[in-house]
Amino acid sequence: MGKGRENNLPTHYVQIDDKLCNGCVLCMKACPTKAIRVRNGKARIRGVCIDCGECIRACPRGAVKAITTVQDAARMKPYTILSSSPVLYTQFGEEVTPNDILLALRKVFRHVYDQAYVNELFNVATEFYIRERRETEEEGWPLISPICPVVNRLIAYRFPQLFKNILPLIPPREIAAREVRRRLYCESVFKTEEFGIYHLSPCSAKMISIKEPLFLNSSYLDGALGINEVYEEIKKFIGKDNSNIMIHRSGGVGIWWGMSGGEIAGLDSGKYLAVSGMPETIKYLEMIEMGLLGNIEYVEFRACSEGCIGGPMTAVDKYEAKHVLQKLVRTYGVRKKVDYSQARKAYREGWFLADRKTDIPPHRSGTLSISEAIQRQERVEEVYRLLPKKECGICGSPDCRTFAEDVVDGEADLDDCPIHKSRDRKVKIVHEG
Amino acid sequence: MPQLTKTFPIKARDFIRAGEVSIQIQGLLKTIGFEPALIRRVSICAYESEMNVVMHGGDGTLTLNVDPSVILIEVKDDGPGIENIELAFQEGYSTASKEYREMGFGAGMGLPNIKKSADTVEIRSQKGGGTYLKMCFLLSRGDGQGTGK
Repeated sequence: MGKGRENNLPTHYVQIDDKLCNGCVLCMKACPTKAIRVRNGKARIRGVCIDCGECIRACPRGAVKAITTVQDAARMKPYTILSSSPVLYTQFGEEVTPNDILLALRKVFRHVYDQAYVNELFNVATEFYIRERRETEEEGWPLISPICPVVNRLIAYRFPQLFKNILPLIPPREIAAREVRRRLYCESVFKTEEFGIYHLSPCSAKMISIKEPLFLNSSYLDGALGINEVYEEIKKFIGKDNSNIMIHRSGGVGIWWGMSGGEIAGLDSGKYLAVSGMPETIKYLEMIEMGLLGNIEYVEFRACSEGCIGGPMTAVDKYEAKHVLQKLVRTYGVRKKVDYSQARKAYREGWFLADRKTDIPPHRSGTLSISEAIQRQERVEEVYRLLPKKECGICGSPDCRTFAEDVVDGEADLDDCPIHKSRDRKVKIVHEG
Repeated sequence: MPQLTKTFPIKARDFIRAGEVSIQIQGLLKTIGFEPALIRRVSICAYESEMNVVMHGGDGTLTLNVDPSVILIEVKDDGPGIENIELAFQEGYSTASKEYREMGFGAGMGLPNIKKSADTVEIRSQKGGGTYLKMCFLLSRGDGQGTGK
């Protein structure tokens, strides 16, 4: 669980409960980075896991879980400050306003912060950045949204040459946490060890983005909680606070971020694209890599289908959430409620700029020379030709090609393929190769 | 000398699967661990030549040949051939139909892009006789570090 780096593989915050796992192939099949194998009847994460949560969704037995601060709740600081993803506003039906939700959240945790407002500030910063870049750069388009931690990791491990395309601004959740932290320091309300800032999120990758951030030297957040983990508790307090405090400050634009297309909806005119869902994200990253989208300025990628409302740690179905979200956008309007001159000043002062680490995390288990790698690939092709291409996964590898790689790397035995094995013993099996 | 050869079929007018071959090649080269800049050059050429076959060439094949010092791509098709090869290498010259242009293709940049991205290009074609295209990519850093799997 998130500790230790075996073979230089990235840390991850997804864990399989052996007591519940029955060794079926569903999570292994769902994994977009082919990081899961079934060995000795149990699923094992052993490759490049990017915390996307596809395995959490795929498991019918609830054996795959995301590790969040909830599992370690005893160590949460006495004064908790919550910043919530706008997805939370979509989880309680269309009658409950964002402010009602924030007030209820305040009953459960001590302090809350409306992150949707910072989303709108971020939109303004993105506009400034794109405008500046249009004047200076001709190459290196499109820019890629830095918001989705899964996409950032996918790029780091599978598309490292696109890493430089990621917009070098700090995501709103971190900006919000930083400002809250600064204010609390300045006002010396609490001692530093007394308070903790946590992010309430639909996302299984927030934990990794906090523990091992890619664009910051260290995160301003102390941890993350899944919306589904605290949902029932928040629900109890909805409508129980009759104070007139307004915590919610954003317009519809900041809330819109909860669904695919919402981030670019908050930008002024330009050539933008919103792509959501893992297969589409991979496909479009491949296209960018081939230089096919050089006419686009900004791509909002979200690993979850339909955007963050489709996250694995939500409490209601994404389409239900989408309906509520669309109503919220209509209610709160499509104009940003931010002060442009203030935003411009903050931008000039470097408020949004990331202190990005330039190195990309190590992501390969071995280092072979090109010669050795070609030889390995030849052997992989050889083994692959022997396989039945039924893609069944019974061998414990996600598909025949990956199995061939596992055999060549000594991590599986050719006899682990039951079809190959039975054919070897002249048992007749109908297949068309 | 280790060598890897793989042939991929390309089907005429199959716009649903068009681009698949270049994506597969890109993945294969990435697995081997070539330099990203080189992979990009090869992918652009694979894509442009694959699309040329899909749009103009009839059925064809793309053969990839990888060894530690050079990547070679040969594309053959049994299509109508290129009438004027010199013109075909001119930026903006296109024989694409209105239909293809409406699909966003046919900007006349295919062969010019290939010429820009490959180290050497050899083309043999005549009207009615199909087209043969050979592209070479040299590994400037020789047997550089791969990354394994």
